[in-house]
Amino acid sequence: MKFLSTIFVLTGRNLQKTWPSQFMTLVTVSLSVLIFSFFFLIYINMIKAGESLGDDLRLTIYLEEEPVIEMQAELVRKITNFSPVEEIRFTSREDAFNKLSSQLGDNVDVLDDLDPSFLPPSIEVYPQKDLTSLTQIKRFSEYLSTLPGAIKVQYGQDWLERFNYFTKLLRIIVVLSGILLIMTTTFMVSYTIRLAVLARQAELEILRLLGATNSYIRTPFLIEGLLQGIFGSSLGLIALFFLFQWIQMHFTGPGFLQLIEFTFFSPLIIGIIILASIFLCTGGSYSSMRKFMRI
Amino acid sequence: MVEIVRATKIYPPDVVALEDISLSVASGEMLFLTGMSGAGKTTLLKLICGIERPDKGMVEVAGKDLNRLKPKEVPVLRQQIGMAYQDFKLLPDRTVAQNIAMAMEVAYLNFKTINKRVVALLQQLRLEHKHQTFAGNLSRGEQQRVAIARAVANSPSLVLADEPTGNLDSKTTALVMKLFEQFNSWGTTIIIATHDDAIYRKSNHRVVELHSGRFIPTDKRTAKTLNNMP
Repeated sequence: MKFLSTIFVLTGRNLQKTWPSQFMTLVTVSLSVLIFSFFFLIYINMIKAGESLGDDLRLTIYLEEEPVIEMQAELVRKITNFSPVEEIRFTSREDAFNKLSSQLGDNVDVLDDLDPSFLPPSIEVYPQKDLTSLTQIKRFSEYLSTLPGAIKVQYGQDWLERFNYFTKLLRIIVVLSGILLIMTTTFMVSYTIRLAVLARQAELEILRLLGATNSYIRTPFLIEGLLQGIFGSSLGLIALFFLFQWIQMHFTGPGFLQLIEFTFFSPLIIGIIILASIFLCTGGSYSSMRKFMRI
Repeated sequence: MVEIVRATKIYPPDVVALEDISLSVASGEMLFLTGMSGAGKTTLLKLICGIERPDKGMVEVAGKDLNRLKPKEVPVLRQQIGMAYQDFKLLPDRTVAQNIAMAMEVAYLNFKTINKRVVALLQQLRLEHKHQTFAGNLSRGEQQRVAIARAVANSPSLVLADEPTGNLDSKTTALVMKLFEQFNSWGTTIIIATHDDAIYRKSNHRVVELHSGRFIPTDKRTAKTLNNMP
């Protein structure tokens, strides 16, 4: 108890003396956490969006001729042998025409002069939910295009590829901003502690002569790092939350963003970000002390 | 309390500060260490409080051989030794009270006790009005008294004072000596390095004199000092 109260008083005294550099470190840690968390939040939401898009994924195989019942059974067997699927739906020329008519609504008259059998028959394949990787989808599509009578396979390939590249790019940004977070946080904290150690060299020397233990000298510096981690990450996350609210308020409406339901971090992820920041700040403080404090 | 056996200290390249000296100071004793400037008084005090290590010989304090002291034991030993340095070693940007309190804070004394002791010591040394003054704004004489107050603040079992009256007038010297006498009467071992013969001339305590890093007999009170042991 005496140890704790003494250490807290010492930490308070140190913070009071070195508040300008402590404040700058706090701002840097907050900004680093904000930048990292911003990209991480987008990435997480994109992954979620990708998963929900996967739920609606369907591959359409356009056929030359309408398959007879035996042929339909054969095609189902071949498809399911290659990859298990949720559902396979056959669409005849007539069904396709009716579907198009209903989709056109009031403009149905554009079909007046057309032959109702001008649309090709097709098979709609709904793959299982775990089929999310673009490579797997491509491989499946290539196989489907080799089925007897298949003319073309469509699954929104361009759109999926663009989405895939975007999430890949986001992953790189998240990793880079994560590295930035680690570097800036540890560097800034260790630099602040280094300045504090150098500024208090005379005091530390006297403390050693008076019989101060290592823990007496080191613990306040570690607590400073710990506080930087707690407050820096909390401020960064609070700023991100307000930014998130602002984006939701201003960018909800028709368009791409409406496809994605943006959600904030779960309490678990918030906890992990705060803990990681605490770990980085305390680690930076500890390594700086080991380097510059000879005790 | 203090046992020094054939200790030699040489500073690079070849300055012999202490040569083959032996000294025994009993627990509760008060000893004056005299000699001219450069005689080795400060070096001897540094050996006793473990700031310096002897190149040869042994220094034992409170039954502990300082050469064999584990790093963890050093702070424990230093808390038992109060040292008033010749250059005071005060923090100029801290108040008088904070400077004195440091010695007790490292021993994790509670803040109430620390405040009480600080006030009592300042009263005893007639510095109560300087409680909140920054140490850097004090005169040298006042700084010296603060350094002495810090040395005795944690009630150490051994007090080492290096020229404690060097900057004081006779009246203040008497105050400081009274403080040392008081602590000595409570059982604290005190070693005072000084070249001011006025403070030990009329005292009954043992006096040892250093000259060029060696003890020289001064009077009958040096009987316990063993010089150049075979």
